[in-house]
Amino acid sequence: MSGPLLSAEELCVERGGRRVLNGFALAAEGSSISALAGPNGAGKSSALKALAGLLPSRGRLQLFGRDLRALSRRERAHMLAYVPQQSLLQSGIAVREVVRQGRYAHDPVWPGRRPQQPAVEHAMRATDVLELRDRHWNELSGGEQRRVLLARALATEAPIILLDEPTSALDVGHALQFLSLLRELANAGRCIVVVLHDLDQVSRYADHCVLLHRGDMVASGPTREVIAPEPVRAVYGVELVPNGALGYRQTGGGA
Amino acid sequence: MNEASPARPLPSAAHPRVALRFGWLVLAVLVSAVASLYVGRGDLSDAALGARFMSLRAHRSAVAFLAGAALSVSGVIMQGLFRNPLASPSILGTTAGAQLGGELMLVILYVVLGNLAPAGLSAEMFTPLGCVLGSLASLAVVLLLTPLRASTVSLLLTGFLFSSLFASLSALLKSLVQETWQLTRVLNTLSLGSVSGAGPRQLALAALLVLGALGPAWLWWRELDVLMSGEEEAASLGVDVPRLRVWCVVWTAVLTSGAVAVGASVPFVGLIVPHGLRRVFGEGHRFLMPAAFLGGGLFLLWCDMFCRALPLRNELPLSVLTALIGVPVFLRLLSDLERGGDA
Repeated sequence: MSGPLLSAEELCVERGGRRVLNGFALAAEGSSISALAGPNGAGKSSALKALAGLLPSRGRLQLFGRDLRALSRRERAHMLAYVPQQSLLQSGIAVREVVRQGRYAHDPVWPGRRPQQPAVEHAMRATDVLELRDRHWNELSGGEQRRVLLARALATEAPIILLDEPTSALDVGHALQFLSLLRELANAGRCIVVVLHDLDQVSRYADHCVLLHRGDMVASGPTREVIAPEPVRAVYGVELVPNGALGYRQTGGGA
Repeated sequence: MNEASPARPLPSAAHPRVALRFGWLVLAVLVSAVASLYVGRGDLSDAALGARFMSLRAHRSAVAFLAGAALSVSGVIMQGLFRNPLASPSILGTTAGAQLGGELMLVILYVVLGNLAPAGLSAEMFTPLGCVLGSLASLAVVLLLTPLRASTVSLLLTGFLFSSLFASLSALLKSLVQETWQLTRVLNTLSLGSVSGAGPRQLALAALLVLGALGPAWLWWRELDVLMSGEEEAASLGVDVPRLRVWCVVWTAVLTSGAVAVGASVPFVGLIVPHGLRRVFGEGHRFLMPAAFLGGGLFLLWCDMFCRALPLRNELPLSVLTALIGVPVFLRLLSDLERGGDA
């Protein structure tokens, strides 16, 4: 379809009687990475959860041109996958079973023998977790768990993937590897919406950016226009120094 | 990371191992069932009396098995729903409701009807029916007071409140009839837990409730598996969490009412049996629920055999034995959780 796959207009979220998101707007298209950035408490995670339909919100929210709130949970899961900042899963179930959870919305309603799931294997290969498939979830490192959660999201085969701070607990090597994978997925046609803290990562990997501050949208548009001296100063109170910090790039060996 | 790699089938050695473990469990149930016919103080040498004893023991063993299975499966469901290995089937208040319902019916039978059941109703089925009605009534109260969209914590707290209320009403009922020693004795036996009086009618009732609820409850295994990641993640993967919550509560109420109705109001079965079986069958509910059915049934069958075999004037109540086993196991479970280990 032409136009945005996921769009929001005048989106407002209240939590505990306090408005944490005010007039948020986004038009996320296929083959693109949209980043939500801003300081702590800016409302990034609330915006992402509202986009996923996981938080009650007001305003216009559309998925493939249809009202997201009118869709059933299963219908939404076919179109949109959500990767939390940290999973609440603490169980000792095998990695393959965690990734297979991504197929829940595709499984027949009447459970019986589960069909072969090439999407599960494909997702595990794409995220390099195939070798971990028989390991238990609670034995994995933080970085491995992130990749397994992404594999679960890919197993849904949803064209839209929302990720909440996926690189926050990763070292620089794994973070770049993870973001490169997101870029590959976007290049393959997926629509990626990601919450990122690191403005350097936003500049390198995101096509579009929404800068939030205390629940309000300060700037939105192409990344190079949003991650610019004026908006950054207004939100973070710091001066942007282009190429002034340590720079990294991925080597051929990977992390 | 390469998304374009061709997919090929993955080998899995898990299912044959699980099948073997189920085989051992089924064998243990069959051997124990046969052995249970020969455990007890009755003399089997007299042919006519022996056959009668065998029939009584067969009914009793079958009822013990079904009650243990019901409590254990209920425990698995509650622990899956609340994502807590310390959750027990009684936390919803339906067990206390079933107990109160059964006691209320006994009081009505003895005090109001003078131990004469109305036409068409058997006196021995008064208590079981009271338990089922009590469980369903408490379920209705808990569900009515906990809106569909309320959190699982609200459901837990509402269940806890009503569990305490029903236990207090139960104590009040006992204090009101304490002058009638025979009735007090029957009420105490009901609360202590015993399947010694089980006959074909109790067995039919237990089978109807337990087997009738077990199949539909098992159909939720995929949702319970996904719920291990928390309600938010489960919802994002397509699970209708409020609907899952309601059905889990309904099936747990039916299963526990089946157990309490036949006299097996016993603690800890729904806690310690699933805990032990998770180490053997894993945490996935697809295998854990049928394993809990067999394992819980086996556990209570063994407990009942032990109570029968003890050379005491009166049989050791089932609830005392399950508590004696359950407390140390529960403390071990708590200690595992404190250490952040595999609980």
